[in-house]
Amino acid sequence: MIEFTQDGPFAEKVDHLFPDRVRIIGLGQTGAAVCDQLVLHGRPGQDLWVFDSDQLTIEGSVVPNRHLLGGKLVRGLGCNGDIELAREIVVQEENQLAHVVRGCDFLVLVLGLAGATGVALAERLIELTRETGAKVIVVGVQPFGFEGWERREKSIEAIASLRQEADSVLILSHDRLAEHPTTKKNIRHGFHLMHGLMAKTAQALAQIVCKRGLIQLSFADVRSLYGRYAGSEVLENCWVAHVEGDMRDCPEDLVAELLEGPLLADEAIWKQVDHAVVAVSGTRHLGLSDVQEMVSVLKDRLPANIPIATSASLDEENHDKVRMSVLLAMTAPVTAGAADMPVAPTKKNRPIAETGPMPAKGELEAPIAQPLPQPSQATRLVKAKPALVPVENLAVAEEPEALTLEAEPVDQTPKMSARAKKRFVAKQEEMQFESATRGRFEKTHETMYRGENLDQPTFRRRGLKIKV
Amino acid sequence: MFWGKSRNIIVALEVGSTKVAAAVGEIRPDGTLALLGIGEAASGQIRKCEIVDFEVAQGCVRDALAEAEQKTDMVIAEVYLAISGAHVRSSNTRVTTLVGNDGDEITAEHLQELQDMATAQPLPTDHAIVHHLLQHYVLDDATKTDNPIGLASKQLTAHFHQVYGLATRLQTTIRCVKELSIDVKNYALSSYATAQAVLTRNQKQLGAVVINLGGGISDYIAYQKGAVVHSGVLGVVGDHLTNDIVSGLKIPYAKAEFLKKSEGSVILDPNEADGRITLPGAYNFEERQIHRTSLNTIMQARQAEIFEIILEDLQNAPFWNDFSGTVYITGGASQVKGLIELASHIFPCAVELAHQSPFDGDQNYGRRPDLSTLLGLLQYARQAEMELPSARGFARVGQSLRKALASMKLI
Repeated sequence: MIEFTQDGPFAEKVDHLFPDRVRIIGLGQTGAAVCDQLVLHGRPGQDLWVFDSDQLTIEGSVVPNRHLLGGKLVRGLGCNGDIELAREIVVQEENQLAHVVRGCDFLVLVLGLAGATGVALAERLIELTRETGAKVIVVGVQPFGFEGWERREKSIEAIASLRQEADSVLILSHDRLAEHPTTKKNIRHGFHLMHGLMAKTAQALAQIVCKRGLIQLSFADVRSLYGRYAGSEVLENCWVAHVEGDMRDCPEDLVAELLEGPLLADEAIWKQVDHAVVAVSGTRHLGLSDVQEMVSVLKDRLPANIPIATSASLDEENHDKVRMSVLLAMTAPVTAGAADMPVAPTKKNRPIAETGPMPAKGELEAPIAQPLPQPSQATRLVKAKPALVPVENLAVAEEPEALTLEAEPVDQTPKMSARAKKRFVAKQEEMQFESATRGRFEKTHETMYRGENLDQPTFRRRGLKIKV
Repeated sequence: MFWGKSRNIIVALEVGSTKVAAAVGEIRPDGTLALLGIGEAASGQIRKCEIVDFEVAQGCVRDALAEAEQKTDMVIAEVYLAISGAHVRSSNTRVTTLVGNDGDEITAEHLQELQDMATAQPLPTDHAIVHHLLQHYVLDDATKTDNPIGLASKQLTAHFHQVYGLATRLQTTIRCVKELSIDVKNYALSSYATAQAVLTRNQKQLGAVVINLGGGISDYIAYQKGAVVHSGVLGVVGDHLTNDIVSGLKIPYAKAEFLKKSEGSVILDPNEADGRITLPGAYNFEERQIHRTSLNTIMQARQAEIFEIILEDLQNAPFWNDFSGTVYITGGASQVKGLIELASHIFPCAVELAHQSPFDGDQNYGRRPDLSTLLGLLQYARQAEMELPSARGFARVGQSLRKALASMKLI
């Protein structure tokens, strides 16, 4: 293990041994918002740039290196989704873009995939970067479903185009936040949340590809997870979560908080995910054993048994904080097609124990052989064996003879540990709702028009209310 | 007797989603057409004009032909078939040939050469050509003409509207008829056939769009300056209206069909907002009250969507910018109340219900818009027969013999 200290004669040179070779570029409105988050909450000194054709976005950004493009063509009014116009702007601003890609080894492009400026710029920047030999990682986000099929189709085209050229493409989906309470309350909060997550993703990627430390990963690890899909139809392929805590915090709590991340709320993703990358950073007090413990806890609590690659680095600017980011990846195309995956998070199943009060003491009298505890003491039902208790079995009491009452001063309301929550697996296969029937046209070829299935009733597609 | 002075009988067959119909007509010596009768059978397992169950569909075709034979006392040996389906596509193409460097005279051979070149145009994989409809010829000086024979030009360009469809599906429909020992003499696109029934030469010249709202598909064709400039097929129409009612009001299909025809309207009348329709009960269906607004909302949403999609397609075609003609609506689903009013709101031009051109013979079918395609196909068949060179001598005997053997189901 090589550990760098700042006590020796080269203390001032440590930072210069591994110069910042990663440049993060925010493209379009989304990219600018993500870079703003990095400036406000990220590490200072990151090499950040922002480009857009909308003057309001550029003026509102807090990134020092921000540039308005296409002033002659659109006069700061943006492209309004017109990709051809955006490409014209790119041609016009060729010299400026060529300057941006020089002097870095890795370029992280952050953008919204439904926007025109961002996509057109990304396409050209990737081409220019290839000439310099640098590697390009794209972090893109798909639009919300309610934003309309046009934007969705644009994003799909953009993904296909970017995957052809970029070294790695990480695609997140806004729809994962559709059911999040913050988003439900205010859609702007939903966007803000996603921008924050994208910022953390870019930061984690920067750490992985260049930051030396306790455990080192490389760009090859990122490319092996997110760079295989040129030409594939897999859309969303990345789910991220981030947690920041005190060095003195218990690893179990940190991991539990990490797994509560909004993008991981949908249990369906665990059927798709097949790899994970964990990036841990902390101060010099963070030891290898701490990292190992955290990863071990995470591995134990992940609902899916997947390989985890770990990167750990030291960062003196963390101020006794430890940061942990997890990037989940889907590398194998699923049989149903990842595009068909329900992107809107489904409601979590509540364990039976949480659905109502615990059974009354009288109801349990018959099967219980041991004397009941004192009324003043709270009771907790546990199985005699095994030690790990599936919570859903507690209140059902299907096997009363296996249950014992254990006197223990616990809360009246049954609390589930984070571990038990994540371990919850429905015993019975969940019945999935089929897509709406096409009735008489079930056996025929679907009549599709602009992404809509015309065999489905029009009133239903248009949300018209019908009194029956 | 077939070797005597035989009557020139032509038969048109339409395999539709609602019904299969066969019309028998006679071409008189003076070239006029007389309708002898029509045989009909309800369709089974045909959706969007495509066969879902071959045997059931073939049974329907057999029934329709049998009824036509019975009504007209004729033996049907060959038919003209109407072709349609959501797989049918169209495009405009042009081919050019060199007439001569000195501005030679254009001959029929040049026209045939252009026709051959158009036929050799590449099509999408698995597609087969249905029509090459000539639009016009263009000479060196950009002069457009319908008949360039005898004119002098260095080169000659022909503009065609080509219609093509998936070969397998076209073959399925043709095989469905041929396996009944009935020869398919020729076929025509449904919308093209419909236009022959409802448009006059003058209307085609002025500009017209014919929209045929059938049971399973809506097909449309556009004419300008006498030539077909655009055509299309949308696999959504009357059946979808009924299906939407079934889905929205939770009633059986037959009840929904009855409701659509008897009470349905595609216009929302505020005066009828609180109106209710009593749907009579049956032994397995309890009487129900239906909100009139609900029924009309469902129907209007679907019908408006159909028109909007067609309009969008027309607007994307180059001819639309100069179009100043009329939209004619016909077909079985055109009998819905308020249709013309709704169409007038959507199309930025005149909209009318199409009326069939008068014909001789059986007059019982003249006012049925659902037979427009069939009667138009009969007109198309008449035109095709007139253009065929008449057989003489042994060829004529052979033709008659072939007809006779076919009628006896020997070939």
